[in-house]
Amino acid sequence: MNRPLLLAARDLVVRFGDRAVLDGCSIDLMAGEAWMLSGDNGAGKTTLLRVLAGLHVPDAGTLAFDGQRLAPGRFPADVRRALQFVPAHPLLFSTSVRANLDYGLRAASVGREDRRRRTAGALAWARLETVAGTHPRRLSSGEAQRTAIARAWVLAPRVMLLDEPTANLDQAARDQVADLLGRLVGAGAAVLVAAHDRALLALPGMRRLHLSGGRLATLGP
Amino acid sequence: MGLLEPTLEALRRLAALDPALWTIIGVSLQVSLAALAIAAPFAIAGGYLLAGARFTGRRALVVLLQSLLSFPTVVVGLLLYLLLSRQGPLGAWELLFTREAMAIGQVLIAFPIVCAFTLAAVESADPRLHETARTLGASRLRAALTVLREVRFALVAAVLSGFGRVVSEVGCALLVGGNIAGHTRTIPTAIALETSRGAFTEGIALGIVLMAVALVVNVALAFGQGSGQGSGGARQVLHGVGGR
Repeated sequence: MNRPLLLAARDLVVRFGDRAVLDGCSIDLMAGEAWMLSGDNGAGKTTLLRVLAGLHVPDAGTLAFDGQRLAPGRFPADVRRALQFVPAHPLLFSTSVRANLDYGLRAASVGREDRRRRTAGALAWARLETVAGTHPRRLSSGEAQRTAIARAWVLAPRVMLLDEPTANLDQAARDQVADLLGRLVGAGAAVLVAAHDRALLALPGMRRLHLSGGRLATLGP
Repeated sequence: MGLLEPTLEALRRLAALDPALWTIIGVSLQVSLAALAIAAPFAIAGGYLLAGARFTGRRALVVLLQSLLSFPTVVVGLLLYLLLSRQGPLGAWELLFTREAMAIGQVLIAFPIVCAFTLAAVESADPRLHETARTLGASRLRAALTVLREVRFALVAAVLSGFGRVVSEVGCALLVGGNIAGHTRTIPTAIALETSRGAFTEGIALGIVLMAVALVVNVALAFGQGSGQGSGGARQVLHGVGGR
């Protein structure tokens, strides 16, 4: 099946001092593909995700989204919206869950009625309706993580980059987050998840990339 | 001379809405609020930009800004006086001994306070705030406003501190305002004058107002900071596994 190429990275190099954390990484993310990125602590998984999200300027290499070459660190707003990154420690604004979900839609100048509808949809998608008006400080870790994922999802991203989304959550919260990831993949977005949680490998269509010595390798079937 | 009698007399005059006293209070508040309204937006923007900027000489600029916090207001007044006096470079503006001149002086006094406090607030904010906003598609301006919103209680403290400083300063207001009754006489300059004339009743009445203003500012500050601890500040989803 021919899937459209969404995000293409070529020969990415990132050095921290003398050490090349990424040493010529290339990756193609196609629509509807799901990849789990594994690697030891400090292998450079977060750095790779941050480079792909435009948050870290690589020392070398190129990035293209939907065929459009991207200037490192200067992604246009529409690309930033289409290419969502949920870090390992996502930050929720000190408003409410609903306002957090609404944030990106406001930034995109989406009309009030459409915003209300999409925010309500995202709250339902992430099963956050009961905490919609709650301040993020009062959320459980699982609810907060789901809020961060829903805040990205509401923007209808074409690529989702997630860094350790289930780390340190209890089993129930991990199951809920894994369920969200499964539905993300099912919805046709390209998903790249950096994780140690092998349970995520069981998600439908999930394939595996391994980062070691600054280089990427495809593992398994 | 006892303190009780003039204090009671001062309170009576305040309660009776003594026009001379309330004109002085009105001038003080008008000049200080105008100065703050002018200084605060630029100072907050300056503090934000300085927090994020990296350029040669930045450190020196920050040190200069912090030094200006303790710059004597009478020296600000002196420099402004020399600029605005008839022989000065800005003498043609004919601003000396006007409320505008006092407001300019207070802008110069308030700016470094609000700017330095904003700088400290933004520097101590979570650096991922800006990044998160940008990731969600925010423009640089919207991301900046988001960061400022997250540190809003510190900004309120910055503005209130600036107000507290300018409303109670005497040196600059005296030099460039001239302490003209009904025109440029403020609470602190009036207290200085009345005390020198032995008119303690007016001095005490104005002192009570000044202390009341300071009290209100501090209560507002404490209230704002208390609210900030209760509900402000972005939440970080805590995980154990770090990344690189």
